Amino acid sequence: MRIRLVTWLVTGIFLLLVFGLLNLEVIHGRAYRELGNKNCIRLVAQDGSRGRITDREGNIIADSRLSYDLMLLPQDAVQQEKIILNASRILHKSEKDLRDTFRKNYISSSVPVTIARNISIKEAIALDELKVDLPAIIVQANPIRRYPQGRLASHVLGYVGEIDRWRLTKLEDYGYKTKDIVGFGGVEEKYDYYLRQEEGGISFEVDHRGKFIRTLGFQPPANGKDIQLTLNIKIQKIAEEYLAGRRGCVVIMDPYTGEVLAMASSPGFNPAAFAEKNNSAISGLFNNPHSPLMNRAISAAYPPGSIFKLVVASAALETKKINPGTSFFCRGSTPVGRREFKCWSTHGSQNLLAAITHSCDVFFYKTGLLTGPQAIHDYALKFGLARTTSFELPYEVPGFIPSALWRKINKFKNWFDGDTANLSIGQGDVLITPLQAARMTAIFANGGYLVTPYVVKSIDGREVAAYQKKPEKLNLKKGTVERIREGLVNVVNDPTGTASVLSGLAVSVAGKTGTAQAPPGQSHGWFTGFFPLQKPQYVICVFLERGAAGYVACVVTKQIIQEMLNQNLINSIPGLE
Amino acid sequence: MRNSFFIILVIALLICSLGVLSIYSSTYQKEGLLWQTIFQRQILWIIFGLLLFSIVSNMSYRRFWDWTYFLYIAALFFLFLVFILGTTRLGAQRWLRLGWFNFQPSELAKLAMAIFLARYFSRKSSDDIDLSCSKFGIFSALILPFFFTALPLSLIIEQPDLGSGVILMLLFISMLYLTRVRLRYILVLLAGIILPLPFVWHFLRDYQKDRLLVFLNPNIDPLGAGYTVIQSKIAIGSGAFFGKGWLSGTQSQLHFLPESHTDFIFATFCEEWGFLGGAALLFLYFLLIRQGFLIAQRTQDSFGKLLAFGITLMLSIQVAVNVAMNLGLAPVVGIPLPLMSYGGSSIFITFIALGILVNIDKTRAVF
Repeated sequence: MRIRLVTWLVTGIFLLLVFGLLNLEVIHGRAYRELGNKNCIRLVAQDGSRGRITDREGNIIADSRLSYDLMLLPQDAVQQEKIILNASRILHKSEKDLRDTFRKNYISSSVPVTIARNISIKEAIALDELKVDLPAIIVQANPIRRYPQGRLASHVLGYVGEIDRWRLTKLEDYGYKTKDIVGFGGVEEKYDYYLRQEEGGISFEVDHRGKFIRTLGFQPPANGKDIQLTLNIKIQKIAEEYLAGRRGCVVIMDPYTGEVLAMASSPGFNPAAFAEKNNSAISGLFNNPHSPLMNRAISAAYPPGSIFKLVVASAALETKKINPGTSFFCRGSTPVGRREFKCWSTHGSQNLLAAITHSCDVFFYKTGLLTGPQAIHDYALKFGLARTTSFELPYEVPGFIPSALWRKINKFKNWFDGDTANLSIGQGDVLITPLQAARMTAIFANGGYLVTPYVVKSIDGREVAAYQKKPEKLNLKKGTVERIREGLVNVVNDPTGTASVLSGLAVSVAGKTGTAQAPPGQSHGWFTGFFPLQKPQYVICVFLERGAAGYVACVVTKQIIQEMLNQNLINSIPGLE
Repeated sequence: MRNSFFIILVIALLICSLGVLSIYSSTYQKEGLLWQTIFQRQILWIIFGLLLFSIVSNMSYRRFWDWTYFLYIAALFFLFLVFILGTTRLGAQRWLRLGWFNFQPSELAKLAMAIFLARYFSRKSSDDIDLSCSKFGIFSALILPFFFTALPLSLIIEQPDLGSGVILMLLFISMLYLTRVRLRYILVLLAGIILPLPFVWHFLRDYQKDRLLVFLNPNIDPLGAGYTVIQSKIAIGSGAFFGKGWLSGTQSQLHFLPESHTDFIFATFCEEWGFLGGAALLFLYFLLIRQGFLIAQRTQDSFGKLLAFGITLMLSIQVAVNVAMNLGLAPVVGIPLPLMSYGGSSIFITFIALGILVNIDKTRAVF
């Protein structure tokens, strides 16, 4: 009896052991296999460098340099203390700071922790030498963004930083991970997929002391693809230089192709602050009331003022409401409805040519009223306003052109003649971006084509211009373009023209000024034009936010063109002659 | 019956060879000549063990009846000697240096105790064919044999070797149960052991307390006392169903698992051979132990019967405690897995015990 019980007991214990084995190996096998791998497999990631960004001639605007990070393997507490002690001595940082960074970055005992970033190469070597005694020390070289041209073209480039939650949820499926460095704004964001490096790394086996045993695998990191922009850094530099201090932007574009040669926006920012994670500088940028991170050329729309008269004139000529000989008399104001609408001066009898030259408001009130708001609206849309230009950079705004229908639907108000008068001189609800202004001006420089602006010339050596939208023929009458163009020439060359300050240059310029009232505060100043007149090479749009008047914009334009002449840039671009 | 001789020999050799494979796998990457040759030494011990096995199996087990007191006193003597001359390893004084061989007297004590108890409980009175133990009073049934067990037991625990002590105690209880001693005495004994346990706590060494606490929750000290249990569970668990393959176990070869060739050889084996291998090994042990029980049951001679039970129980307790400890089902106590673990003393004593078992089966027809 007792014997049988004992044998059953022994059998039972053996079955129990087999079940214990089953439980560990089969049911929880995978979890334990992972734990086992965690014990002995270490991963050290190695990033490739992000693609370079160059200007059209190959001058580097953004590339990568090696930044050294100090990391440690948090397995041995004694060693850890020694490393922190030594690091604080070599890096001249307080132990408390290092310990805080360590605590903040700690993930688990098998993952190396970063305790100091951006250490100099000398410090990196000094720390690496300690490795003999303290094997848990890791000095890792990471490529980070470098900007050889400083702040140049920062709005076109954008900046790089750690991926945010919103982008991560959208981009997870494309292989993006937490803590990835991605582009924000500009080319960096738009072409992040190309610029992005591929992470490589080395996985190796260690023993219980963390000693290296053997390499398990190595994937070489791949560099991102290089991007060549259409920008010319010399022109870009000039544009930024003469914009300095003022709020506003300059767009210089090829009138035939839409290649953007310079796009400057001010105030600007230093993208290096983001690459180096300089937190105080970054929060300063975000809190600045003048939004230095905003690209004013595309991300903000402003009332165009008199430069909108090009649209009104075209609409009137195309719809035959006026002809080049039609003239109106400017007494300094004209009644529209029950109100007197003022002109900025008293011009007397004005035909179209004179009205553009002097920017006579009365002429355009009357022309606009003849043409009607719908035709003006339609031609504005035809000229690429009130919709994005299909420019490549993100955060482009469409601007706005009001119409009677919109007003009825959204404001429950009727459209009055006064609104038409306001629309005719580019006031009221009209909003356009400086890039749209440049694009519109290009129509008169290239003889009636609407170009699509773009800023990326090639990716990884492959020209992408071929994929851009071809310039679109607007089917304007030949006379219309020529008449208005004559007007634009006179704006500069006629001594009474609003931009006559530009006439003294060695190159002949044509263009239109604008002074857009935007109460409260000072007016916005515009100048949009093209040069050289005989064979237009550049379209330029200078916009000064709260810049008082179009005259100031003309002065800035003059300085820019003068400097471009000085640097022999105006005839130096090959392929045009 | 030559039959049981071959069955036991084949099973024991199978287990031994699996042991040698595991020892080789867990040590071949270690530096130093001593580690490189350790599997060769194990093969040597096995050869000696086989020699002892064949000698003992051809020598009447009845002689052990005569040698009982001699063996018992010898065991006590060696246990004493350990205190005076013993080498200390891993914080415990368990080994005696005999020339080039490290002898562990607690192994001998287990076998001696099994023989001693078998003889004690198979005494017959002159006027009765029944065993006298069924008429024992509490003194002869319990107190006297407990005293004789407690002598070596206390010496072993003092070494300290809690594992062997526990095995000795379990052996005593189970053998007492298999005799015809009244059940109430056994209950008294169990009560006598369990009730003072809270007080025993104070006499345990710190590391023994740690191990018991860690057994309840290994994560209280993952890098200290709990380390071994955690690593052993990881080693076994990471083997999964088919194992990582011989010589591919990372836990044992990269030294994450301590004592991977001795007490934790089961974990080493299971990491490389998986659930299949582990279950097969347990099955082999089960077959061996079943042989022992079968031999015991068909033996008429009460000394032989009780001795066979004692030896089988000794083996089963060691296997069960060791495997349970490897699986994290029992506290970590330093006992080897018979026939698998590296170590001369354990191999010799196990082979001698198996030899006695075979001999009991061979000569039972005589009585």
